[in-house]
Amino acid sequence: MNRTNNCEIKYKMSQMKCLGCFFVCLFISILQSCKHDNLTMPVPNENIRPAADFIHNNYEMRLFDAALQKTGMTAELNGEGPFTVLVPNDLAFNEIGIFRPTDFDKMNKDSLRRIIAYHILPRRLYLRDIPSNSVDFRYATREGSELYASLGSLMPGATAPTNALFFSGAKAIRKDVVLSNGVLHVLNKLMKPQFEKNIQEWLSDKKEYMVFVAGLKKFGLWDQLAKKGPFTVFAPTNEALEKRGVTMSFLEGANPEQYIGEVLFGAYIMYDKHFFISDSQVFNIINSNGSYKYHLKDKVHYMEYFADEAYPTWKLSYNMRLRSNDMFNSIILADITYSVAARMDYLCSNGVVHDLDKGLVSPDQAIKKEENEK
Amino acid sequence: MKRQRILHCVSMLGIFLILFTGCTKIDYTQIDEPAYLRVFNNINYVQTMGSKDDKVPYFCMLINPKTGADGKFTGAEIVGDFLDKRDPYAPPYPSHIGNSNSLSNPEYPGKENVLVGPILNGFDLSSWAQIPSGEVRVVFAYRPKNTVPFFELEERLKNDILIDTVINLQSKEVYTLHLLQKDFVKKDHGILLRQENFYKLPLSDSLVYVNFYNMSAKGFWEADANLKDDDYKLASFKYGIKDEMNVFMSLYESQEELSHYAATVKGYRGKFMTTVKRNTSTNAVSPYVSFPLWASNKANGIRTDIWQRFDFFTPGMNPVTNPFYDSDSNTGSNWAVLNCLLNGKVRLTSNENGTLLPNLLVNVHSGKDNPHTFATVNTIEVVNGRVYLTTIQRKYAPPIY
Repeated sequence: MNRTNNCEIKYKMSQMKCLGCFFVCLFISILQSCKHDNLTMPVPNENIRPAADFIHNNYEMRLFDAALQKTGMTAELNGEGPFTVLVPNDLAFNEIGIFRPTDFDKMNKDSLRRIIAYHILPRRLYLRDIPSNSVDFRYATREGSELYASLGSLMPGATAPTNALFFSGAKAIRKDVVLSNGVLHVLNKLMKPQFEKNIQEWLSDKKEYMVFVAGLKKFGLWDQLAKKGPFTVFAPTNEALEKRGVTMSFLEGANPEQYIGEVLFGAYIMYDKHFFISDSQVFNIINSNGSYKYHLKDKVHYMEYFADEAYPTWKLSYNMRLRSNDMFNSIILADITYSVAARMDYLCSNGVVHDLDKGLVSPDQAIKKEENEK
Repeated sequence: MKRQRILHCVSMLGIFLILFTGCTKIDYTQIDEPAYLRVFNNINYVQTMGSKDDKVPYFCMLINPKTGADGKFTGAEIVGDFLDKRDPYAPPYPSHIGNSNSLSNPEYPGKENVLVGPILNGFDLSSWAQIPSGEVRVVFAYRPKNTVPFFELEERLKNDILIDTVINLQSKEVYTLHLLQKDFVKKDHGILLRQENFYKLPLSDSLVYVNFYNMSAKGFWEADANLKDDDYKLASFKYGIKDEMNVFMSLYESQEELSHYAATVKGYRGKFMTTVKRNTSTNAVSPYVSFPLWASNKANGIRTDIWQRFDFFTPGMNPVTNPFYDSDSNTGSNWAVLNCLLNGKVRLTSNENGTLLPNLLVNVHSGKDNPHTFATVNTIEVVNGRVYLTTIQRKYAPPIY
């Protein structure tokens, strides 16, 4: 009996062993059958190129590539990095009158190099690295100065982010393009840093604002524009002012005592403000209100300012509406819209200047009244 | 085999024992002779186009800071980092900790994990931090609004100091420290250290106490409307209140009727409470005024559903002679209304002009009653266009389930 039992146990043991062997073999054969001859280890994607090569091979960025080559920054951008390259596309260059690579030859090479270097950050900056709903978040550029990043992420109550991203007023129309040595964002506009130049110096260089400058000087508003500020100046061209009856000959004959300078010329200046036109869009997202309303320095006239991409052109444009006072039934003295994106957002050392092709106030609207007339 | 296994087990047990015993060393922090301090940042800010270029009043508080050889701060005895603008409601218990995943702290200690006050004369001081008493140096440094701790910030970001001063704290006394704007036109800032006295007063636990402060900046209510917060929720407080205001209170019977026309408790409709004067310089405690917890005859001694409405009128006006429409929010700073009901988020459905704060009463599960209504001690502070409520509660019997 005992022996048969032993036999049975032995038999069962050998059976188990057989089964064990069988399963081991089975597993091995299953694993073997999984073997895939073409399997390669995940190697870094060789198609991801370094920054300069990527730009060179992209038809949308031919002009930026030409600028890189002219300034000799190609080798550096193909280097180790990391870089964040903010590339204005060809349309953006066309807007400022650059259509072919040879057009860069007209420009001073050193200033071109500075502007291009301003479009490069010595770091990897993905969209996710920028704090949500941040305005004027500053990042150091390759040039040495700082640029202003604004990100309108979440509308009040929204769950899905809008993520409208702007760099010094230029919109990132394509974000987070991965490069082997960094990241690239495509801008719809060239950033226009004026570096050390303050608003006064910037304006005095330009012939098209001659009348405006003369007016500021005449009414004692000129000297402040060399100070710290910040200011946001909407600079009207000579033609714009002429349509409103403000010309050189008018200014020569005008008596400053007779006019309210803070209205006639002060209306073009926002004090203590540093607005890119796109800021309105960012605040439109952050708190659903991108408008800014304020009294001019005469404490009577009232300005309503906003900017948006609006119907029918969907171009970014700003709107200024000047009212005689802040009552809802006040007289609208001017209501202008400007939408030439290429001539907005000149970033000076003490503020931002935007071009303006329409005047706001004519001299007869800014005549000083007697106390009893008010 | 067996012996080996036993040996193995014993040695593993030994290792675990060593590891566990090694973990038991705890250094308890202790502050000898502490004072109890609660800090509020009353400097408000909003993210709008107009305020885009203003400095954001977001601070790091340093108490008894240590300075390095170059005179820069290298550390501090107590650090209250990420001090944000205060919340409209400062709850009796630091419930922010469990209810938020942001680093921004609406008050100090708030979310900070520090030693807090005890139950003092029956009042729960768990929203007050223990601070060494005596003369302490307090510094409020501007800091960028991000998640980097103050001392890890870049050097250039640590030098913008709003306030650097010395305050004197007595042992076992309760203080609130307010960071304030003192002048709206000149943009002067300052602090106000108030030594509270509620724990020394013989306050009844069947009366609800409240005192009022107006810590608005000088020149706020006179200032141009476009310089003020454009927040519709502030309603009639938006433009500020005048420097001297009379406070009238109405007690409404039910929080289910969201109307200012609803039934009020008998004897508590537009009842004069006190006068509040603008003050940003002296630290005197305003007198507490009270109303009975069981004022309503619908109350059963366990639960009551009353809510409070406070009318602030300029002297010469009162609820009877009120010349404004009920829904007028631009009253020339002559009349402002505050509704304290539910959690402070539910608007009345009637057409009126009140801003909102939570009910002064606390309802919690205590003993067998869920909920049980308790009387509290409250402080209502008007700062520029905003109103803040601080509620202090007593210690309650624990719930029985």
